[in-house]
Amino acid sequence: MDKLVAQYSRTHHHNEMYSEQEQEDFNSSVPPLSLKFSLPPVDNRAAFLRAMTDDHSNPSCPIKLAHGTTTLAFRFQGGIIVCTDSRATAGNWIASQTVKKVIPVSRLSRGEDKKSNEPTPGLLGTMAGGAADCQYWLRYLSQQCTLHEIRHKRRITVAAASKILANLTYAYKGYGLSMGTMLAGMTPSEGPALYYIDSDGTRLPGNLFCVGSGQTFAYGVLDAEYRYDLSEEEALALGRRAILAAMHRDAYSGGFINLYHVKEEGWVHHGFDDMNPEFWKTKLEKGEFSNVTSTL
Amino acid sequence: MNHFPEAWGRPRNDVYGAYDHSYLQTTGPKAHTSSPAVTGTSVVGVKFNGGVAIATDNLASYGSLARFSDVKRLRTFGDKAIVGFGGDVSDMQYLDRLLASMDINENYSPRGNMLNAKNLHTYLAKVFYKRRSEFNPLWNHVLVAGFDGEGEPFLSSADLLGTTFSAPHLATGFGAHLAVPILRRKFPEGMPLEEISQEDAVQALKDCLKVLFYRDARSIDKYSIAVVTKDGIDLKEDEQIQGQSWAFAERIKGYGAQTV
Amino acid sequence: MTSLMGNQSRGETIGYSFSEPTSANVKQHSFYPYTDNGGSTLGITGSDFAILAGDTRSTSGYNINSRMVPKVFRIGGDDETGEGAQVLLSVVGFAADGNALKEKLDTMVKMYKYKHGKPMSVSACAQRLSTILYEKRFFPYYVHAILAGLDEEGVGALYSYDPVGSYEREQCRAAGAASSLIMPFLDNQVNFKNQYIPGSGAGHALEAVKAEPLPKDTVKQLVRDAFTSAVERHIEVGDGLQMMIITKEGIEEVFIPLKQD
Repeated sequence: MDKLVAQYSRTHHHNEMYSEQEQEDFNSSVPPLSLKFSLPPVDNRAAFLRAMTDDHSNPSCPIKLAHGTTTLAFRFQGGIIVCTDSRATAGNWIASQTVKKVIPVSRLSRGEDKKSNEPTPGLLGTMAGGAADCQYWLRYLSQQCTLHEIRHKRRITVAAASKILANLTYAYKGYGLSMGTMLAGMTPSEGPALYYIDSDGTRLPGNLFCVGSGQTFAYGVLDAEYRYDLSEEEALALGRRAILAAMHRDAYSGGFINLYHVKEEGWVHHGFDDMNPEFWKTKLEKGEFSNVTSTL
Repeated sequence: MNHFPEAWGRPRNDVYGAYDHSYLQTTGPKAHTSSPAVTGTSVVGVKFNGGVAIATDNLASYGSLARFSDVKRLRTFGDKAIVGFGGDVSDMQYLDRLLASMDINENYSPRGNMLNAKNLHTYLAKVFYKRRSEFNPLWNHVLVAGFDGEGEPFLSSADLLGTTFSAPHLATGFGAHLAVPILRRKFPEGMPLEEISQEDAVQALKDCLKVLFYRDARSIDKYSIAVVTKDGIDLKEDEQIQGQSWAFAERIKGYGAQTV
Repeated sequence: MTSLMGNQSRGETIGYSFSEPTSANVKQHSFYPYTDNGGSTLGITGSDFAILAGDTRSTSGYNINSRMVPKVFRIGGDDETGEGAQVLLSVVGFAADGNALKEKLDTMVKMYKYKHGKPMSVSACAQRLSTILYEKRFFPYYVHAILAGLDEEGVGALYSYDPVGSYEREQCRAAGAASSLIMPFLDNQVNFKNQYIPGSGAGHALEAVKAEPLPKDTVKQLVRDAFTSAVERHIEVGDGLQMMIITKEGIEEVFIPLKQD
């Protein structure tokens, strides 16, 4: 009865606009890397989101998100190699060829590549799947890692950082997030550590991972040549070569080869190089990629 | 998440269920739950030198049935602005109550109701946008006519999704197809407002309503027309379309029992 | 898994006669909350300026709603005149979402200024916009946003976004209906993609032309060329070109007529 009455009674001055609380939230200038998301008021939100954004099931879906990738990382005696392509696709459209898919997760340097060859302390995260999901959650992780550093006066372990991320993705399981990320870092207690975390909530430690639509091609090259006792030079070249193979064969991968090396003291950036000259160098100088003709 | 390369990173059917196209369709078998029942058709408006004229017919349809033939779809907001409603009539009445309530509330403020047509339009657009974001839309497309803060004639549109736009002349619903071309011919967009007289504007609206009555099956020949000038609002609610000529109907072939 | 999402109860609380009904009725989904208002935007940066431009047509379906609906906005300036703004935002896609986004960012930038006593830097604003977009990850804003301004060194800065907030700093970006027509043109003319120095080598040894920041007048002309060409081949683009140029002297706004057909 109360419900019925409430439904048909109104306050003296009826107002349609936002509540005071909503307005306050709206005006807060504190950066809300929060877990407060507005949800569509429908029964099955994940299905709604999917209908709007799944460009594979429905190539003409209205909202196309940046996607697609090949990323890889592997442990070897000299640390960890992290290598990615740089292409983002929205449907068949190449949205960008210059995406930075290796995201530093540390207080000291967020996103900006330093010009010097000095190693930068901190972790590296990779980005595969929804570009926004990876960027946002790695930023969130960065914040948590910094807080950890302040509270405990020591850097967070890769195991702990990856667990924070995995707990998050598990909490949002079924909401429609899409990310496959690798966390790489070296801490005194763990040595070189590499974890794979995805939006299903999976968290796996390992020696070698390839993630993304071009993963199979990268695995092919990597599995053939990979040994734990690779020299640093060999390891860097292998990372490059595996990504090159994936760029060549996977339409959703391409652009630039983004190469990082994680060492004891921190990570070092080894270039963001256009794949085209790299490809022809590999073909003409080493005689690989003989499936392609070199005559113009 | 799908881990196969061809659909990497996309949702998996066995986890999320099959892709559901029904979210994308604007009409469909379930449409009755949030679509209009009793509706009004076009609203037409045009700015002239020193004011704005706006008109609607007086019909509220129930589907294809001409259900209520004396529904006033032009509503005044104080003595400042006119809102012309197209779309759902119950939502129109709700919005009218809302605006009346706001008008009373504003009039009790120390300085009286200071809201002009532009402010009213902003408010209405935000109400529409908020309701669409709640998936509980107010199924209307409105034109707001009056004056802005600088005292210039103001005419702007807002619809159920919160989309807004303004132009020297506007029409909603069927009028967007039939009336706008007439208005664009009479008053080309580059034409300065000073060259458009009140009489021309009112005559143009009457012509538009006549054409709409000829061709829009959800229209009627009784209409309301309002003129907003500095002197106030002149609202006429019981007008009749004059000088109808159905001669063109004789040339229409191919309907009913007619065979030749 | 679907059930995890599907059956969340909508807070059936005890009702009092004076309280507003709290739970919205469960709606069947047939209401489609988006529309596409067409149009296109584009941004290019130089060594000491950034240009954001957009056409002024607003469409729904095959109808032209209006020929004068600007898509580029000043952020953080005076409400009426836009004076004092140091950031530009362009939005294209669903205009109501774009408007909501613009107003939200504008509020944020102003609140920042009142609280900290200094204007927000472009890089901070760029990241803030990203989080605003991501807050609606599960009910996205249907917009492609581009943000422009000058960075700490006074160099033109341009950030482009996808609908849920992934972003990147770039030299140039086209968004909206005609982005697929304009972007390849910009790749070639701004980043000098696939341009090689004649005679620098044979076959694959040809040396690529290095991209360098372009002077302002060249960029202005590129923007006009991009739009006049897009208008010829895309029905949702036309009527007027709105161009905003941000330099350390301030923001200059130009309107140029485009074809009205």
